[in-house]
Amino acid sequence: MLLLLAVAALVAASCASKDKTSTTSNGGTSGGTSASAATCQGKTGEKDTAKPLGSVGDPNGSGKKVGLVFDVGGRGDKSFNDSAYNGIEAAAKNMKVTIKTLEPDASGSNRAELMRGLATGGYTMIIGVGFAFADDMAKIAKDFPNTKFAIVDGVVKQPNTTGLLFAEEQGSFLVGAAAAQASKAKQVGFVGGVETALIKKFEAGYKAGVKQIDPNVKVDVKYLTPDGDFSGFKDPAKGETTAKGLYANGDDVVYHAAGLSGTGVFRAATAADRLAIGVDSNQYLQVPPAQQKCILTSMIKRVDVAVYTAVKAYLTGGLKGGTLMFDLKNGGIDFATQGGQIPDTKKLEDLKQQIIDGKITVPTT
Amino acid sequence: MLPSAEPRAPGRAEVPAVELRHIVKRFPGVVANRDVNLAVQRGSIHAVIGENGAGKSTLMKMLYGMQRPDSGTILVDGAEVSFRSPNDAIAAGVGMVHQHFMLADNLTVLENVILGREPRRFGMIDRSAARRRIAELGATYGLPVAPDALVEDLGVGQRQRVEILKVLYRGARILILDEPTAVLVPQEVDELFANLSELKREGITIIFISHKLDEVLALADDITVIRAGTTVATADPRTATTRDLAELMVGSELPTPETRDSTVTTDVQVRVNGLTCRSAHGRPLLDDVSFTIHRGEIVGIAGVEGNGQTELIEALMGLRDPDAGTIELGGVDVTRWSTRRRREAGLGYVPEDRQRHGLLLDAPLWENEMLGHQSQPPNVKGPWIDGGGARQRTEEIVERFDVRTPNIDVTANALSGGNQQKLIIGRELMAEPQAMVAAHPTRGVDVGAQAAIWDQLRAARSTGLATLLVSADLQELIGLSDALLVVFEGRVVARLDPSTATPQQLGSYMTRGDARDAGPAA
Amino acid sequence: MLLLAAPLLAVAVAVAASALVLLATGNSPSKVFWVMAVKGTKTEAVVSMLNRAGPYYISGVAVAIGFKMNLFNIGVEGQYRLAALLAAAAGAAVTLPAPLHVLVILLVAMATGALWAVIPGLLKATRGVSEVISTIMLNAVAGGVTALLLEQYLKAPQEQGGYTVGTRPIGASGRFPSLNAAIAHLGIHLPAANRLQAYIFVAVAVGVAYHLLVWRTRFGFDLRASGSNPSAAEASGVDAKRMIVAAMAISGAFAGLVGLSQVLSEAGRYTSDTVIGGLGFTGIAVALLGRNHPLGIALGALLWAFMDAVQTPLANEGLPKQITAIMQGLIVLSVVVAYEVVRRTAARREASELRRAMPAPEVVRA
Repeated sequence: MLLLLAVAALVAASCASKDKTSTTSNGGTSGGTSASAATCQGKTGEKDTAKPLGSVGDPNGSGKKVGLVFDVGGRGDKSFNDSAYNGIEAAAKNMKVTIKTLEPDASGSNRAELMRGLATGGYTMIIGVGFAFADDMAKIAKDFPNTKFAIVDGVVKQPNTTGLLFAEEQGSFLVGAAAAQASKAKQVGFVGGVETALIKKFEAGYKAGVKQIDPNVKVDVKYLTPDGDFSGFKDPAKGETTAKGLYANGDDVVYHAAGLSGTGVFRAATAADRLAIGVDSNQYLQVPPAQQKCILTSMIKRVDVAVYTAVKAYLTGGLKGGTLMFDLKNGGIDFATQGGQIPDTKKLEDLKQQIIDGKITVPTT
Repeated sequence: MLPSAEPRAPGRAEVPAVELRHIVKRFPGVVANRDVNLAVQRGSIHAVIGENGAGKSTLMKMLYGMQRPDSGTILVDGAEVSFRSPNDAIAAGVGMVHQHFMLADNLTVLENVILGREPRRFGMIDRSAARRRIAELGATYGLPVAPDALVEDLGVGQRQRVEILKVLYRGARILILDEPTAVLVPQEVDELFANLSELKREGITIIFISHKLDEVLALADDITVIRAGTTVATADPRTATTRDLAELMVGSELPTPETRDSTVTTDVQVRVNGLTCRSAHGRPLLDDVSFTIHRGEIVGIAGVEGNGQTELIEALMGLRDPDAGTIELGGVDVTRWSTRRRREAGLGYVPEDRQRHGLLLDAPLWENEMLGHQSQPPNVKGPWIDGGGARQRTEEIVERFDVRTPNIDVTANALSGGNQQKLIIGRELMAEPQAMVAAHPTRGVDVGAQAAIWDQLRAARSTGLATLLVSADLQELIGLSDALLVVFEGRVVARLDPSTATPQQLGSYMTRGDARDAGPAA
Repeated sequence: MLLLAAPLLAVAVAVAASALVLLATGNSPSKVFWVMAVKGTKTEAVVSMLNRAGPYYISGVAVAIGFKMNLFNIGVEGQYRLAALLAAAAGAAVTLPAPLHVLVILLVAMATGALWAVIPGLLKATRGVSEVISTIMLNAVAGGVTALLLEQYLKAPQEQGGYTVGTRPIGASGRFPSLNAAIAHLGIHLPAANRLQAYIFVAVAVGVAYHLLVWRTRFGFDLRASGSNPSAAEASGVDAKRMIVAAMAISGAFAGLVGLSQVLSEAGRYTSDTVIGGLGFTGIAVALLGRNHPLGIALGALLWAFMDAVQTPLANEGLPKQITAIMQGLIVLSVVVAYEVVRRTAARREASELRRAMPAPEVVRA
């Protein structure tokens, strides 16, 4: 009994020291886990390497007012909304526009009111973060024809509204490739928040990326809720349970496209000592060090780039309706390398180039 | 009139065992106690008499710590006490035997007696010590019990004995008995009185609550009369008569059920044939019961409570599906009819528990008038409530049945029990039923209301109403009924002519189901 | 008097308590309350309040019908969701003259809500299953069924790049116009972007129907009797089981109308954003606030809607909008306490009045 306690204390101590020193690897813990599964070996505390948004030549928009309304949940989701905030904040800093960000109520029932409030308050460009804004924006855009609107992840058929779309399948392809490289168990998982067409795009790209590296790697797909029930994007407990199941089932890498529910996936990964892949933001930078070592990479959907680019286009008169597509080519989509756990980054860079060059076409369904 | 007689028995201690001074207790909607004064001498049997609802029970609950007086003083053995709970009262030597026994049926006598006060030895219940103590108490006070018998196998009288023993076991020197004879048949009453006399001899003080005057005169050393919440007189049982006491209690002449000309016709209004109901376990609750009620007839059902009366009432009203047998109303088989259909066909109902089954306590009187008749005029017009009609009908009832209320918009729980009952009788009779089930129609109502209700039932009878009268009040049954059925364990064990039946005879059938020892009247 | 004093007192207590919360979290209560009082009463916020109050009211009535006979219909949530979906789909599938079209949609919604609510009613009547448990469970089932039906059968084709899942839009004949033009005649000119929805009239109609049904019909009497004293109701001829099923069906029928305000107006179709979640639970709070009284529920719904509507100006001012949610909770809590205090006071008063009206008989006559 005492002996066991002593051993446990030693192990705990070694783990703690490992976290602090952030060394590459240690023999202590990996010996205890199965050799046929990838474990959390990532370095912790690495810094963001993404280039800051914007450049010297960006236009001066001082005096212009840009409003942004978050998706339900608002800031602090470590994902979508935070990324949007980074974009608009950079726009305020670099282009001197006046910004205002608002968060809808829990049911999202005042999205329209908030946008209307911005429109009547002199905000001549209004960004809605998330496709849920589409129906409301269509009507408000009609009421305020002189105001420019942009919607992240959505399309609204109004001349003064621009859809900011992403080639998520491309980024998902690359993290799928990374997952296949890292997996020792030869089976990986996917947790989608809600079974929407949008999230299915992530799934399709991810699967294609996995097969690109190794057609024999199995992909387990789980969705938290069916389409129409959007609780799947904000249910960390469900995310944790689902991911736990996947890890227990033998998956050693799980990619989540589940918004706030992803924090649960990370918790499950840390508890199981298995790898997880983040989404939308570079999630390595947002999680505590204990979880950082379990994050293989993130599919970065640069909502910040999209928001920033849209504001820039607005100032230069380039926001003319229709859609703007953000992909690997224009830096709207990327993958993260922090933690240094991707076995073959060069191969991924190579695949990325092939996609940019059009040599690989990633499926969307 | 009767002079207030101070108790002057020799050899009594100067300090009363219990003394209540100027007790006041208010409640919303019920008769409260005001300025109650009572002195109980040690080692005596002191009867507290009064009509149901006069405030006797409330008073005793205060003495037993179940309720606290709003003002006034309680003294036990000369010392002022303030009981916050029955535990305080027990600690001061005051114990109470409730009207409804508080025993666990599935435990033995011994277990019930020691429950909550188990003697312990090494952390275990010391059964042998308990057994010794119970035997000791039984011998001292003349209360023999079988300690290992299950309470559910005991008769009512034996259960009461266990209750008394339980209180004594807890060290009570002052015993409160709340209407102890209400649930007993005459023979059991005699036994109880013998026991109480024995207890008195052993120095126990007994406060005996009753409204049965013969018993009080036979047993008590002193009598205090309560009327309308306050003590109105004390009386000496050696000189007072039942008539004196009744007049003190009632404040007016005592009504007596009189013999009248029969109004019974030959038309059968209600025919019950072979009615049988079984419990979930298949035990017969109602066993092959058959009888008829003619137009203009009152058929009385006598029996100790729990011998099938409730089931019979429920089956007649359509609240319980019988397992066998038929019920005919005016020649039509209504056995499968819903309650509403039966009521619409002219079946009136005075339920045994008016508050639980007869009233909406938080609804105004005029809505209570509708209850049971909410599908018939004058209360409704088509699917709509006819508030005007219902209110007018209620006003009529208040007028004709002397319901004492400021108006018909007060809620039912603001009325006293007697007035609630008059409202119920009124609404049932005003609907001009063909037949009526009346269960304990005067239970808990004052004597004035009782007389009025009896008169109303008689008047309805003379206009042809067929009434089934279920009652625990033998005087009522004998006085009102044209025919009397005795039920025992779900069976009709005797059909008696009320004009010749005696209480002794009835009691015999009610307890044993046959007429042994019933005496010459059988 | 007393009846009004209770809610007013409760609101005052809630305001005081939330002021303390604001102070404790380093916010200025005066500023927050100023915004609520001034911006919250501007036309825009009032329109938003009225638009919200309609569904809250209907939901409150649906819950209150259950409460009237001691049934706790927590399932309004699932009932309106399913009903709104099927009604929206039905409305999009047919084209009829204007009043008829709207009527068909409303009837489909009521029928769906009623049928869904009858399930827990039957379970309770025949099997004794607590409606609290079954309605909670059926909420989850309704969420799943709705999502599945929408995804599998009722989904409108999505535009390229559009991800909003919804039914096809209902034709103009099946929608309510905004009331802006109507109130312009009254001299109140709303900006085009600020639409006062005509759905408020449905709420008014529901209120009138509720009042008539519960207080003016035989059925309503049976319902109230069953709630007030089930065994007395049964003895009076009420079929308790049938009553449970009927009450749940009617509660569900009203619940079916809860989610249609957006579907029948601006949005014209069902999506997860036009039919928002949580209205069923709001209805429970609103019914409690209003003590199941038709006008009381209306006040409760307006108060609740006001609290939600001022979230927007509060957010605009950068003030913590969460305070309104705290206040809503505090108000319900204090109202429940206040009503109980008032109830006891009233009972005492009635009793003492009765004692005065009927003095006890003369005391000692001996």
